[in-house]
Amino acid sequence: MDLEFLMAVEARSAAIDAQDYFEVLGLPREAQPADIKAAYYRESRAFHPDRFAAAPSAELRAQIGRIYRRINEAYTVLRDDARRRRYLADVTGPERDKKLRFTEAEESQVKAEQKQKLEEVFGQTPNGRKFYAAALKEVEGQRWDTAERAIKSALMYEPGNARFKELLAQIEKSKPKHDPFKIR
Amino acid sequence: MNDDIAVGIDLGTSYSCVAAMLDGAPQVLPNEWGERTHASVVSFLDDASVLVGNNAKKNIITNAENTVYSAKRLIGRFYFSDEVKKAQAVMPYKIVEGPNNSVRIGVRDKVFAVPEISALVLKEMKAIAETALGREVKKAVVTCPAYFNDNQRQATKDAGRIAGLEVLRIINEPTAAALAYGFGKDISQRICIYDLGGGTFDVSVLEIGRDVFEVLSTAGDTYLGGDDFDDRIMAWLADDFLKNHGLDLRQNRYCLQMLKEAGEKAKIEVGRDGVADIQVPAICQSPEGQVLDLKQTLQAEQFNRMVMDLVQRTFKVCDEALQSARITASDIDAVILVGGPTRLPIIRQSVRHYFQREPLTGIDPDEVVALGASIQASALLNAAAAESGQASYLLDVTPLSLRVATVGGYTEKILAKNTPIPIEKSKTFTTSRDGQDRVKIRVVQGESNRVEECELLGEFEFSGFRVSKRGDVQIEVTFEIDPNGIVNVSAMDRESKKRATTTISLSSGLSEKDIQTAIDTAAEIELAGHQPA
Repeated sequence: MDLEFLMAVEARSAAIDAQDYFEVLGLPREAQPADIKAAYYRESRAFHPDRFAAAPSAELRAQIGRIYRRINEAYTVLRDDARRRRYLADVTGPERDKKLRFTEAEESQVKAEQKQKLEEVFGQTPNGRKFYAAALKEVEGQRWDTAERAIKSALMYEPGNARFKELLAQIEKSKPKHDPFKIR
Repeated sequence: MNDDIAVGIDLGTSYSCVAAMLDGAPQVLPNEWGERTHASVVSFLDDASVLVGNNAKKNIITNAENTVYSAKRLIGRFYFSDEVKKAQAVMPYKIVEGPNNSVRIGVRDKVFAVPEISALVLKEMKAIAETALGREVKKAVVTCPAYFNDNQRQATKDAGRIAGLEVLRIINEPTAAALAYGFGKDISQRICIYDLGGGTFDVSVLEIGRDVFEVLSTAGDTYLGGDDFDDRIMAWLADDFLKNHGLDLRQNRYCLQMLKEAGEKAKIEVGRDGVADIQVPAICQSPEGQVLDLKQTLQAEQFNRMVMDLVQRTFKVCDEALQSARITASDIDAVILVGGPTRLPIIRQSVRHYFQREPLTGIDPDEVVALGASIQASALLNAAAAESGQASYLLDVTPLSLRVATVGGYTEKILAKNTPIPIEKSKTFTTSRDGQDRVKIRVVQGESNRVEECELLGEFEFSGFRVSKRGDVQIEVTFEIDPNGIVNVSAMDRESKKRATTTISLSSGLSEKDIQTAIDTAAEIELAGHQPA
């Protein structure tokens, strides 16, 4: 192994954190699956750790390991059409620097988002949910006074719930302007 | 440097084999008696020496408590696992619990860890290679089933070290077989390796592009193998005997071993000749003192019916592998059969039917894995191979998803199965209490999001990072799978970029100290049946 190669490896290992996956595999952004596979094979022939298993320099082996792990990471993302599309959007977008390394929308995060949506619809507390459901039912029957009371009770439990507030506003708007019980 | 040598060892459940690259061609190294495969059986003799191989196999009956076989079924497993419970019921040797829920085998007055037993098989392979080559052998590539998890791989690697070998690499058996098939052939094909061994079943789908061997997917069943076929015959023989004589042969360990031997022999015979004549004279005595013989005839058709569900199970695994590779059976250019049980006509017919193509002939299913391992061994030793264009590159995958345990008994996926290795992935954890000075994570492998349905790899504890308010400290944990398929975990304080100290607080494996002790113990054990060097 000549000096030129060793220097190239060192430069590549140092630069890898600033490269996107297309750059890691030496590919244009419009690369298709066949190109991606060909590039992966080409890079594997050059940087596969087996090639350097007998190399005496531990530092070289560490650099090669670092490069090759990133090559595998790049291939894993780019070979999948859906992921490649998302990744392409990530690295061509404004937050490129933060998104050079692809992360799956984390399972737990997705779950949390779904849960939040559900909670927004039905309320976060049992009583909130109960009064909100009752209010909806009263609205359906156009019994505005009871509906107003129910949604106000629901808001007592969850003052911040945007959906509850929205319903209250809707009820107040729909309510007949003249309150028959009001003493003039 | 260049006259250094490394061998390839197929460490099988039932049989093992050793090979080396000689004059540019991989060759199996036979022992002094010309035997090319060796029973993975370890028999502890009266004179404290140890007999390994085909001669030791005879001792399964005569020296049952002190003869250990199928140890690979136990390697890297926890004591509470189903496989260990099953083994305890049928194995004549003592299986006991060791520290940290590990498995130990009690022989005579000694207790061995499972890797120590496998080490003795490897030591025998080393001795065979040394005799055949007439020189010392210190380095080896050892194979393991593709579907082995991290614990099992680590234990296999430990076994190599205990045997006094530097394990250059642990490679997957089907991948080794593919390498032996495609080496130097300059082909571009998609192939499927159907590997039915003594105790495990693996399927790997590979794409070969000249010198690159890319594993597209792998799937397997570590609870399915030739032994299960024997069990079916045994059960049939025993039920039949019970009906005729009112005696259950399974109740006596000696009878059980005779029965096991008869089952294995019948399987081989019925596969070869289409019919098996089973005769075990004097298998037991009736309460009246009458000596009873076991006599039966097994027809191929009847045998096929007995094992049909096992055969079907293998194709469910094939479905899974093809699906993961996103191809269909018709996209496969060649099917390679590996493992002794694939000699059975029922398997060959079913494989032909499933893939709509004749499996390749002319490949010895018992030797191909060791041959592939020896090719890899020589490549790892010789850096010049790459420059002269003789190298081949194995691009393998991890067979199981890597996960961490989260709250409430759930897990979160870190790296998906069939991801190419080596690879790494980082995840950031934050402290949850003020003044917290350590973070513990549990790492598991498997496909379920419930932690109890996955295999526990270990519990890692990180310390030595900045201590502050909760949520203030961010610890970046990096999970790395190395080219052996072995998982390494490290952690770093994100702000100070300082590495945290990692200690493994729970693991099935041997500690470094245990291994050192085991190396010394193994070095002292003498192998019987060899001329002293």
